[in-house]
Amino acid sequence: MPEYKGMVQPARASLTELRKIHIEPVPDELKPEKAVEYLDQLRKKFRSFVLAMESCTKCGQCAENCHTYLGTRDPNNIPTNRAELIRKIYKRYFTPEGRWFGKLVGAEDISLDVLEQWYSYFYQCSQCRRCAHVCPFGIDTCEVTFIGRQVLHWLGITPKLHATTGAAMEKSGNHSALPKPGIVDTLEFMSQEIMDEFAVEVEFPVDKPGADIMYIPSSADFLLNPYTLMGAGMFFTYIGANWTIPSTVTEAGNFGFLFDQYSTQRGNVMRLLNAAQELGVKKIVWGECGHGWRAAKMYIPTLADRPVRWPITHIHDEVANLIRNKELKLDPLKNSKPVTLHDPCNYVRACGLNENMRVIIKACVTDFREMNPHGADNFCCGGGAAILFDDPEMYQRRIMFSKQKAEQVKATGVGENGDGILCAPCSICKAQLYPMVEEHNLGVEVKGLIDLVGRALVWK
Amino acid sequence: MKLLIGQILPYFTVTIFILGMLYRLGRWAGARIVHNITLSPWLQTKGQVVLRVGTEAFLFRNLFIYDKALWAGALLMHFALFNILVGHLVGFGFLGTQFTLIPVLGITPELSLEMSNLFGAIFGIVLFVALLYLLYRRLAKEAVKLVNKPSDNLWLLYLLVLVGIGNIMRFVPDYHIEYILVRDYITALILFRPVVHMELLNNGFFLVHLLLVQILLIVFPFSKLMHVFGMFAERYIVNRVYHDPAPDLPNVDVVAARQAGLGVPDGNTAGEGV
Repeated sequence: MPEYKGMVQPARASLTELRKIHIEPVPDELKPEKAVEYLDQLRKKFRSFVLAMESCTKCGQCAENCHTYLGTRDPNNIPTNRAELIRKIYKRYFTPEGRWFGKLVGAEDISLDVLEQWYSYFYQCSQCRRCAHVCPFGIDTCEVTFIGRQVLHWLGITPKLHATTGAAMEKSGNHSALPKPGIVDTLEFMSQEIMDEFAVEVEFPVDKPGADIMYIPSSADFLLNPYTLMGAGMFFTYIGANWTIPSTVTEAGNFGFLFDQYSTQRGNVMRLLNAAQELGVKKIVWGECGHGWRAAKMYIPTLADRPVRWPITHIHDEVANLIRNKELKLDPLKNSKPVTLHDPCNYVRACGLNENMRVIIKACVTDFREMNPHGADNFCCGGGAAILFDDPEMYQRRIMFSKQKAEQVKATGVGENGDGILCAPCSICKAQLYPMVEEHNLGVEVKGLIDLVGRALVWK
Repeated sequence: MKLLIGQILPYFTVTIFILGMLYRLGRWAGARIVHNITLSPWLQTKGQVVLRVGTEAFLFRNLFIYDKALWAGALLMHFALFNILVGHLVGFGFLGTQFTLIPVLGITPELSLEMSNLFGAIFGIVLFVALLYLLYRRLAKEAVKLVNKPSDNLWLLYLLVLVGIGNIMRFVPDYHIEYILVRDYITALILFRPVVHMELLNNGFFLVHLLLVQILLIVFPFSKLMHVFGMFAERYIVNRVYHDPAPDLPNVDVVAARQAGLGVPDGNTAGEGV
């Protein structure tokens, strides 16, 4: 189902796949009325959603500030119009003005077509919050697409990618469906790699009882971004930490955050807390993953069903802290290629990692060039909220969504000699940018931030 | 007509306005702030929050940063509107002598009335022009056209007519209205006294102005104009104090680890040029 009435759509989860994440799809003829029922339930709960529905004045400022609109010029990708897809239903069913003066205020009856619109456009939103950042009122379209995606999920309309990833997490504790033996093997292989390349002895302790620190890597780091996990291993070894990776949670991401905050996201949270309790750790340190870090840092306190006894920090926080205390010896000359930093949206607009990333990168590389705009003003890579769909139509959209990013990278000039580094310390950013730097011929290699730390460490 | 618009409708208007506001604000308050969705970089103190929300609400900080033209138009419009609303209150309340209340300056009642008229005139024009600009923007700018709904234009037209009539009463001597007449009228309404006989209500422009204001107040709680309050309610969610937990790894001693040469093959490299 790549297209519906001219709208691009990601491939859908099948019945079997939906059942694996405990969803029984609602029959088509009941979908519209159920959608209104679910929406009613959710709007009575989330004030952030209610205000996004009710406070917009349609000033239009968000339009030119959204990478999806800039890349596609599709009017429904303007943040307020994206929200309008649900707002028109909200007005029609939940407000007097929409009930009585529907045409005037743009209210509309629910229908299957509307749900298809939701599916298309809520899964073209990167949930990067740049619109919230620039909105004069602070209206957060992310809160709208969260709820839109939740309703769709309850109806049984979920992208295959998200549903299977959610199911893989439940089954194996990571998004890549890696079993424990695979994890241990891969980590041993990484130890070997580190020895070969950096001549350093690094062990990756798995499920080590009595460890102080539980490190949660992104599972993509086992396969796609090995240097990030290797960098983390080198860092923990360097500082002499008593650390471990729990085999039950080898995933920093939490796709539940992106399509099912009720069941899937909470399930993952409880799984994490169980692991921390079983291993008896003192602290949880998070790996490079944007949405996952937001889900962990900002949502665990309100999603956990019991008191959270472990402080949770990001590995960047810890590395930056040690750099500030001058406890790490780093040699920037080991990273002498020109580097620019792509700020993952969740880090800079939701998790306050802005400064720490810069403390680290400046200590690790010789030629650091800021993008413009950067920090909290930064544009999304175009893959945010895991819209990393491979169907040809959706892939074309991903290229369009990353146009803004490509222009930013080009403007820094890091790729001029074809040897630049685009540091994108987030697994979804990496997964989006690996192909996109090729599509846009940027002349850069995509790397994580901890990759650069590992490389720059001076061991003796 | 005079009976309906001047005597009966005002009580209806006030009732609907109050109930409507309670309904709408109740709808907002009924839903909770479930998760912490504060925007980072984070504000560290309550003072910073007040400053941030204040600059957004009263100086339109974000519009200034990201769209100067809209900022100018919107700020002029809202500033003039605010002054006109306050002007209505104090002007009619103190019959134009409000500026004498400012201490030290020694403003005479006559001068105060002059000032009242002058400010009323200026802001009346500024408001009208700024509204025109905002309407022009809605009709001309591509991105705004794409998000526009009929009601958005309608509100601007409505306000233009409302303000236009106000300006006619201000600038056309034949229709000019003395402050005292309005004060007497409002006082009578508050005291539930008959007002139909009042000369004020023979002024057609006043009657229409009054009617439009009342319709506006009736519709207000159900309209986008509630963004005045939405601003603060939304900012209350996305701009709050957040303190990062202090970074610190348990049982980590980097100096000792480096002296022990952890990670360096062949162990005993302690002391080697750290």
